[in-house]
Amino acid sequence: MDYEFSKTQKILKDEAHRFLAKECPSDVVREMAEDEIGYSRDMWQKMAELDWMGIMVPEQYDGMGGSFLDMTALLSEMGYHCMQGPYFATVVMGGLCILEAANDTQKADILPPVCRGERLLSVAWVESDGTYNPEGISMTAELQGDEYLLNGTKLFVPYAHVADRLVCATRTGQRTDDNHSGITLFVVNTRQPGISIEPLITMAGDKQSAVNFKNVRVSKDNLLGQLDQGWGVLKKVLLMAAVAKCAEMIGGAQKAMDMAVPYAKGREQFGRPVGAFQAVQHHCANMLTYSDTLKFMAYQAAWRISERLPFEKEASMCKAWGSDAYRRLVALAHQVVGGMGFMEEYDLQLYFKHAKAAEQVLGDADFHRELVAQEMQM
Amino acid sequence: MDFEFAPQEQAVLKEVRAFLKSEITPELKAESLAIGYCYGGELGRKFVHKFAANRWLVPNWPEKYGGMGASAMLTFAIKEELAYTMPLIFVAAHMAGPTILHFGSEEIKKEWLLPIARGEVEFALGYTEPWAGSDLSALKIDAVDQSDHFLLNGQKTFNTHTHVADYHWLATITDPDAKRYQNMSMMIVDLKTPGITIRPMITMAGWQTNEVFYDNVKVPKKCLVGDLNQGFYYLMAALDYERMFPLGHYRRLFDEIVQYTRDTQVNGQPLSRDPLIRQKMAQLSIELEANKLIFFRLAHIIDKGKIPNYETSMQKLFATELAQKIANTGMDVLGLYAQLKKGSQHAALQGQIEHHYRWSVVETIYAGTSEIQRNIMALRGLKLPSK
Repeated sequence: MDYEFSKTQKILKDEAHRFLAKECPSDVVREMAEDEIGYSRDMWQKMAELDWMGIMVPEQYDGMGGSFLDMTALLSEMGYHCMQGPYFATVVMGGLCILEAANDTQKADILPPVCRGERLLSVAWVESDGTYNPEGISMTAELQGDEYLLNGTKLFVPYAHVADRLVCATRTGQRTDDNHSGITLFVVNTRQPGISIEPLITMAGDKQSAVNFKNVRVSKDNLLGQLDQGWGVLKKVLLMAAVAKCAEMIGGAQKAMDMAVPYAKGREQFGRPVGAFQAVQHHCANMLTYSDTLKFMAYQAAWRISERLPFEKEASMCKAWGSDAYRRLVALAHQVVGGMGFMEEYDLQLYFKHAKAAEQVLGDADFHRELVAQEMQM
Repeated sequence: MDFEFAPQEQAVLKEVRAFLKSEITPELKAESLAIGYCYGGELGRKFVHKFAANRWLVPNWPEKYGGMGASAMLTFAIKEELAYTMPLIFVAAHMAGPTILHFGSEEIKKEWLLPIARGEVEFALGYTEPWAGSDLSALKIDAVDQSDHFLLNGQKTFNTHTHVADYHWLATITDPDAKRYQNMSMMIVDLKTPGITIRPMITMAGWQTNEVFYDNVKVPKKCLVGDLNQGFYYLMAALDYERMFPLGHYRRLFDEIVQYTRDTQVNGQPLSRDPLIRQKMAQLSIELEANKLIFFRLAHIIDKGKIPNYETSMQKLFATELAQKIANTGMDVLGLYAQLKKGSQHAALQGQIEHHYRWSVVETIYAGTSEIQRNIMALRGLKLPSK
């Protein structure tokens, strides 16, 4: 076993840290939360020049050809700086759908502009029941000649308002008992007639939308993967993206500690630093445990994905643990920092919101514990 | 990164598993259970000799001291395998031995390490005194230099398996006038030495720990470990090794509880179909995974040539709190049946759950309470101020 990043991964992480410290300080994070677009095109272009858009894309499609683990190194730095924006939707969720399910022609069409930073992706998955379960997918895609006609409403679609292409999960076939079959994925151009996008206003300031599809015509060529077999892709992407989200949490958790622990050393009450009181020390020790366990759970799952080993159980374990651990860690940080941490101007609040958003997206702890139980053959 | 064992480690583990499968008999288990899973029964000693003959007790020690020059990773993996099958605690091999290896003179290494590696001798821990529990710097037991020997007078308490071990791994005060941490020496004392009295103290788990009285006990000078008056640091090192906690024993208990949920019908369906049970079992399995990762991290750090710091306390804390959760969840899952003791009519899982429920209380206490572990993590790991 080896618990450390490779030399190149460490370099990537350090570079990302420096870049984001300069480009994405917390006032930018606040600004983007208020901004209608929600990201800076200038910074996006710089990130593309660093090859971050194509970090996992094979070189033949103008990517960097890196591994999933490489990407987690990057994502943890984005989490550290609480970076919001369409990166996760484009590179992780959309990118993984394309890499997993698209044919060569589709990849050659979609991926190179993504790598250049010229095209944004997202995934239109969840509907009104608000879950990632297959039974929630009701949006219809009806074959009419050479085209499919899409009808329905998707919710919680991240950065749909700026996306150029959406991967849409639709129902094309009969529901089976487990609802797994009969789901088909399409790549849809967001400028297609019949699509309307309405912004949702979120707690953490990240951008999500409701996307309505009314008789949207999509060519057969835009069918992603196999007809009626889309759930397999979605399930795999769900688990991989959940691990990627945990990588973000690693950084966020680290930053919360980097705020709380020095605060405990510097803030004096009763004539001594509050960090000299055992009650506060024990909060900090518990934060350290959450942080370390979250880290290794995520690295293990990411490593397994990179090595093409079975990763389903480890991925769900990681998201279930991470969802609880990150939220609890930030709650402890709030307890250590006291009233100051409740202030809008203090950065901890950004992480409090990020922790809850990260917990809820891509399946919360209960959802993933149930998947773990299934993996345990219970 | 790499989260699997190396092929050569896997090959040894396969042999270990096969060995344990054929050598651990119900009689051996019963004997171990009767004496609190301590080394020391007749069958236990025989088993340990045979096990150690493969150099599996201390694989990461150099060959000349009875190891195989293997990784700490393999050593930890074997400890975990062993704990899964039958929890044996090795004070000499896994706590005192590494400390001797690190701090001992060549002479003391030659005397002790080979017999330890062969499983021929076992030590019992001799730290706690009635007035020195969490604060081991408050020890009082006197070891007075009498030129050719030390003369020991004092009292130890909660010294588990002194009644079955051969030697006492003993912390003594050799310079009562020196300041804290500079007054202590470690000694290896033959428990059969005249003047030592061992009195049983029975725990709520049913097994025995002891109080040990030293009354004018003559201990030869050669029994001193390392340097005089540096014992506190050796004790802390040995404590760190003790805290590297293989959770295999509770992992097996957890597996049995999971199987119980599959096999037990309630309201016309297996318990394992109940969403609440599924959530609880999944959560424990997730925490077991997290523990596995921070347990083998310790081996990773040692194999990199470094000494684990706060990481050891974190793992001990996490593992022992999880042990209690497993036992308590077992009580929840078995419900009214959980209270039935081994031998009772209708007892489920051979009464193991109630036994572990009682037993696990001590896990978060010995080798430093959970509160002490958190202190260490805060002070050593996060450099928070002590005052």
